[in-house]
Amino acid sequence: MSKQNAIQLNGVSKTFDGFKALSDADFTARWGEVHALLGENGAGKSSLMNIVAGLYGPEGGSLFINDNPVKLKGPKEAAKLGIGMVHQHFKLVTPFTVAENILLNLGHIQSSGLYRERLRRVSEDIRAMAKRIGFEIDPDARIDQLSIAEQQRVEILKVLLAGARILILDEPTAVLTEEEAERLLTTVQGFAREGAAVILVTHKMNDVLRYADQVTIMRSGQTVKTVKPDSVSVDELVRLTVGESGTGTSDQPAERTPGEAYLQVKGLTSTGSHRALNGLDLTLNKGEIYGIAGVGGNGQSELANALMGIPEAVEGQMELIGEGDLSEFDAARRRSIGVAAIPADRYGAALAGPLSIADNFALGDIHSGRYGPFWYLKTRAIEADAAEAVKQFDVQGVRSLKQKAALLSGGNAQKLVISREFNHPPKLVLAHSPSRGLDVKATEAVRDRLRAARDDGAAVLLISEDLDEVMAMADRIGVMSAGRIVAEFSQPADRQAIGQAMVNHV
Amino acid sequence: MNRRYALEVRQQMAWYWQALIIAGSLILGLLVSGTILVVAGVPAGELLNEFVILTLFDAQSLQSVLFQASPLIMVGLAGCLAFRAKFWNLGLEGQMIFGAIGATAITMWDIGSPAIRLPLMMAAAMACGLLWAIAPVLLRLKLQVNEIVSTLMLNYIAINFLLHLMYGAWKDPKDAFPYSPKYESFELLPEFGDGLSMSIPIAIVIALVVLWFINISRAGLYLRFVDKSPQVARSVGVPVAKTILLAVLFSGALAGLAGLMVAAGQEGRLTHSFYVGYGFSGILIAFLARNNPIAATCAALLIATLFVAGRSLQVFYQIPFAMVQLIQAVLVICVASSDFFIRHRIRRVQGGE
Repeated sequence: MSKQNAIQLNGVSKTFDGFKALSDADFTARWGEVHALLGENGAGKSSLMNIVAGLYGPEGGSLFINDNPVKLKGPKEAAKLGIGMVHQHFKLVTPFTVAENILLNLGHIQSSGLYRERLRRVSEDIRAMAKRIGFEIDPDARIDQLSIAEQQRVEILKVLLAGARILILDEPTAVLTEEEAERLLTTVQGFAREGAAVILVTHKMNDVLRYADQVTIMRSGQTVKTVKPDSVSVDELVRLTVGESGTGTSDQPAERTPGEAYLQVKGLTSTGSHRALNGLDLTLNKGEIYGIAGVGGNGQSELANALMGIPEAVEGQMELIGEGDLSEFDAARRRSIGVAAIPADRYGAALAGPLSIADNFALGDIHSGRYGPFWYLKTRAIEADAAEAVKQFDVQGVRSLKQKAALLSGGNAQKLVISREFNHPPKLVLAHSPSRGLDVKATEAVRDRLRAARDDGAAVLLISEDLDEVMAMADRIGVMSAGRIVAEFSQPADRQAIGQAMVNHV
Repeated sequence: MNRRYALEVRQQMAWYWQALIIAGSLILGLLVSGTILVVAGVPAGELLNEFVILTLFDAQSLQSVLFQASPLIMVGLAGCLAFRAKFWNLGLEGQMIFGAIGATAITMWDIGSPAIRLPLMMAAAMACGLLWAIAPVLLRLKLQVNEIVSTLMLNYIAINFLLHLMYGAWKDPKDAFPYSPKYESFELLPEFGDGLSMSIPIAIVIALVVLWFINISRAGLYLRFVDKSPQVARSVGVPVAKTILLAVLFSGALAGLAGLMVAAGQEGRLTHSFYVGYGFSGILIAFLARNNPIAATCAALLIATLFVAGRSLQVFYQIPFAMVQLIQAVLVICVASSDFFIRHRIRRVQGGE
């Protein structure tokens, strides 16, 4: 029983509007193992797992659960067979409590009794399950009061309480800090040791090396190989994921002499009752990358919003030397100065998913009059510029400039944002988690752009919850905690000391 | 082995397929409407005759369809503009009433020489329609007051103000009916050719202007962002408030012009109930047309055909005019449902159990 196959997929294909997301993919996961599914963005990992979870119907091939052939008619049926998937974007009703969300999902199981009675029973089950697997979750807490890591735990509890024995986690560590990720993966490793099957969809090599028993590598819709992670070298794994060419290396930046001060932030404080920003000071020089490290939720998002001109209630100074206060500039002024913004939430603050690539690109130069006066939009000029930029910044998956931006994969969407923001050489670059959710190649491309901007004399502010990224990129590092910069380091910086600063000031 | 059907969400669909699906749903709606009419007592054989032959192939009926269509095109375009800015302008009737009041004020007070009287009336109609839309849009932008409520309530104020004028200061002294004195001949929209009203070319020109506004001007690009991703629009530097303001005021001005088209093109005076049904029809046309100005013009023609055919059904078969509204509603439901097929794909799967 224990070494039976939990899931077996043979020759599965799936097409989306003519685009082949999966072609003839095979995948097998056994009971009792953590099986990683590794691949770049757009390799087809999520599509494959969505088929297992009953969200998509496959176009060809067969699916076996516990060695029995099945045809899933929907996610409910998959849940009945013990398949539970935790999606990258959580599916929780935010104004509801934890218990209400879980009850909503269990509707078909716990259907008897009064609502309050059922809610009480579910709350008990949540407490028991949380205790068993070492989560701390208050069943009566509202989802919007929980951090991302806590919401993820709710998602996991949700599928476990629905009876999942095959647990699929889609990019679970993308939104977590190092410690949170470690804790989560240790917990799911525990599930596998107790006999469950855990599938870890990821593009992070570290997750695979440290926690997976088996790894299946996917590339352009096909499963390339299944191996034991300790039986191959890291180089081999990288080669299998990215193909023959294009493994990126990120060396530590050399010591450099910074230019003059360009952006001076003084006493930046949130005006609301919750002081997300609390008297933050920082100075950003020309020709340097200033990295802001810190545990998520210490005011990074608020700082990014305030600087990028995304509505955020703050007071204090954000002076751009020689230009004036950043908060008083409208979009046209920001563009004419050369302020480039790469927000963390790509489809919430940078790209309009339902609109075309050309429309999204046009915003970058619309105010300068390059695309014609107010009463006339030079569509040809926009499309010519967009085509040029798409080529120059290597945005892939563009079948037509009229295609919806939402159809681009994460990495290519990010490249599109950068192609717009860097179309004119920027003087100030504001980047928030620019490589979140991106694969190795795309990450390296994004980082190269930031470095090139720095080398051309731009002041670059990099806010990231990924310490590796900050370490690899920044010339100076500021540690953010409770809404302010609590410590600053110059390269070469001591990773240990930075880690200490991140946690000590909480 | 049982066959089942699975639903999937579509990511993108070519525009011609969308058009085909909408056209199909309209045909289905017309078939359902036809069945209802047959049940109500119209002989099945006469339906085609009444709706198509006698309405569209009879010169005089075609004239009255076109005549009826122009104010409908105006309110339909007004709906498109406001809805594209995510502003639910339910105040088309109020704006239309004020447009007509503005135009009539010019005639009552004899402003301007006869040569420029009509252009002045048009300007006044657009200005007054626009003014009637200012309060709700500013309340929405500055204080987040729900425009559905404010525009709707302003309709009642406009209606009662109109009645106040019709029964009071502006009542025609020559008889006892609640309408204004007849316009002078130079205050009426002229006719050209064989009795075609000038309002038709005006409507076509305005439709082209709206098409330009939405597709060719920079405002159109901004509107797309406001329509599809308001959150992103704000972050990437689209002047959201200005865009909404511009689109809504344009919408109000067009509704005002619709008022003038009815008063100076059809009735020849201001009457107490000229606006009835146009607000609803405007919303409906914009909806049927998916806020596309060309499609709105076609939808307005369709609705106008229904109006004209409905009147002759009333005369010949004693079918109540409410039947026309029922048909409108059936069409809207069909088109609304067709959206489902645009967003989803149905696929047959072979059942396992």
